[in-house]
Amino acid sequence: MPGHKSIVFKLILVITFCSVLIFAFTLGYNYYESRLILEQELENNARNLAMSLVNRVESELVSVTKVTEGVARSMETGRYTENELLARIRTTLEDNPRIYGAGIAFEPYAFRKANRLYAPYFYREKGKITFIRLEDSYQYVPYVYWDWYQIPRELGKLEWSEPYYDDGGANIAMATCSVPFYLDRGGTRILKGIVTSDIPLVSLTELISSVKILKTGYAALLSRNGMVLAHPLKDAIMNETFFSIAESRHDTSLRDLGKKMVQGESGFVHYTSLVGVKSWMYFAPIRSTGWTLAVVFPEEELVENVRKLSLTMAGMGLAGILLLTLAVYSIASSITKPLRSLAEATEVMASGNFDIELPVVRSNDEVGVLTSSFQLMVTSLKEYIKNLTETTAAKERIQSELKVATDIQASLLPRLFPAFPDRPEFDIFASMDPAKEVGGDFYDFFFIDDNNLCFLIADVADKGVPAALYMMVAKTLLKSEGQRLGEPAMILSYVNNILAADNESCMFATVFCAILDTGSGEVRFANAGHNPPLIIDSLGIRYLAPKHGFVLGPMPDSVYETEHLTLQKGDILFLYTDGVTEAKNPEEELYGESRLLQALNDGSKDDLTDMIHTIRAEVTRHANGAPQSDDVTMVAIKYRGIVTDV
Amino acid sequence: MPIQTSKETTALIVTITGKMDALTAPEYEKKFSELIAEGEISFIVDFEQVDYISSAGLRVLLATAKRVKAVNGKLLLANITGVVKDVFEISGFCTLFPTHDSVASALSASLG
Repeated sequence: MPGHKSIVFKLILVITFCSVLIFAFTLGYNYYESRLILEQELENNARNLAMSLVNRVESELVSVTKVTEGVARSMETGRYTENELLARIRTTLEDNPRIYGAGIAFEPYAFRKANRLYAPYFYREKGKITFIRLEDSYQYVPYVYWDWYQIPRELGKLEWSEPYYDDGGANIAMATCSVPFYLDRGGTRILKGIVTSDIPLVSLTELISSVKILKTGYAALLSRNGMVLAHPLKDAIMNETFFSIAESRHDTSLRDLGKKMVQGESGFVHYTSLVGVKSWMYFAPIRSTGWTLAVVFPEEELVENVRKLSLTMAGMGLAGILLLTLAVYSIASSITKPLRSLAEATEVMASGNFDIELPVVRSNDEVGVLTSSFQLMVTSLKEYIKNLTETTAAKERIQSELKVATDIQASLLPRLFPAFPDRPEFDIFASMDPAKEVGGDFYDFFFIDDNNLCFLIADVADKGVPAALYMMVAKTLLKSEGQRLGEPAMILSYVNNILAADNESCMFATVFCAILDTGSGEVRFANAGHNPPLIIDSLGIRYLAPKHGFVLGPMPDSVYETEHLTLQKGDILFLYTDGVTEAKNPEEELYGESRLLQALNDGSKDDLTDMIHTIRAEVTRHANGAPQSDDVTMVAIKYRGIVTDV
Repeated sequence: MPIQTSKETTALIVTITGKMDALTAPEYEKKFSELIAEGEISFIVDFEQVDYISSAGLRVLLATAKRVKAVNGKLLLANITGVVKDVFEISGFCTLFPTHDSVASALSASLG
């Protein structure tokens, strides 16, 4: 399983997050817009529904109004006997099944002088038409004080009463259409009475209640005063007004809404219904009665479909995102799988195993390119390591060969001291430290006969292997010619000619060659370009001033001159190469002649071994770790003279 | 390797600065070889700014002199003083190489 911060994880995280974001936004926008469209649709639907209801109620009312007005007009134009009058009312009732009760209420003494009040009234009771006299049934409050009589009487025009329970007549909730009629006497209209037609509220409320909107939506009817006339909540009918409900709910907006209704306005509002359901309501006035009709759509049910659709979409979206995530996981895994195996292979390689098989990648994509590049790198690395191993081995071989060469070179120089333990006439000590593995400096000493000791010091130009090879030749020649010739100038001259014969590379050596007569202390010496030796005698330390012959090697027929010197007992000759005086410290400061002279002066003059070791230690101390470019070679010889046996 | 050359009618003046020792000698030798390969045959080496010469440096001069001689050219040395002069004297090189006190005198010598 890919780790926490793997590419797969990141890809899934980013893509899933983005998809969810895009989807959530789209869904949210869709839901919002759908609701908006739905609300607009709803307003239209609600208006249409309300208007159609209003029209149906209006048509009911208008038919009643027309009949009532017809009766009133006939009262004004015709003269009726009591029987004719009663027959007229009865016929009206019989002809109009919508009318529950009809009657004519006369002004006091207007029908006949004998009766103060006269109001015949027919109504339906259990399928039959029943006749009563209202002046009798309204025993306590005479009919002339009732609204259905008073209001049209005062206004002088047709009027629908507020719905009411009729105690005097039918004992049902009803509304009365009252039309005043007059007697025209000499141009003056004298009110004679009121023609009334009652309609039972139930006939309207049934119409309203029959309207079904969605599941729990409904239509309602309110009277002019806001009285609830039709509502699914039966208890509220004829008991509550819109304003009493607003009062009990402490809802001022509801009261304002009620005012608008009463004023005959229409509108579409968001509204919390009597049972506390959030709804949309459209209300419109019924002009003839001043009532208000309202249709109520529960919001929940309205958006239910949108919500269902959104939920389905969300479900589909989630499934889609899940599918997408799986697809991303699958692709990312297939991409990173070779990468992971490559990483594992690299780890193995990092531990030094270059023979591991890299994963096979067939594709030509970036991973494939990476793998083949990696394969190339591994091959190159293997090749490089192989070469390096070979080079190192070769270098090691050369190093070991050089080590052997060092040993050989060292073994060529006389190293056993005391060199001549049976010759008390002199002491000799010498040392050579090459700057590289092999050096170009050398020294030598050997007897050319019983008395004469040849000793020499030499410095081959340049360092390293070429110098060492040249040194071998020079040393061999010097020894063989020395033993043959026994004369310093001749030795140098002969050796020079041999060396110069084939010297393309212009190698050369500086040589100081001397022969000591151990009997007399006489020293014959010749110099081929070497730095002058020091002599330590009773006068102190000073430089010998030999004639400067040309170096050995480059030019044939160079001329050298033998000079003479006689050593007294205890005198010392100190020969050295420029590796001593030109030893440098890290500040590039040379050891120099003055330090050498000082060190020789301060040190022991009895023991030559001590002397040379002291100087060597001094030079090493001066160099202070700085790499030396020149070999350091010293030869010291002390003449003791012949000890005569007594 | 501080080495400067300036061409005169009769010779190429080579000015060397610093040390001519085992470390720098191979580079000088290579430089002289290149110059000869380019057709130069007469050199005046100005030693005024050389403060040290070792046997390896001397060998380069010898080898160069030999090659110059093979093409009938000349190698003249100028301004050899101080430590360098000591080395030249001790090794006997001053007997082999004609040395001059100044580049000018070397130039006039190169005419002959």
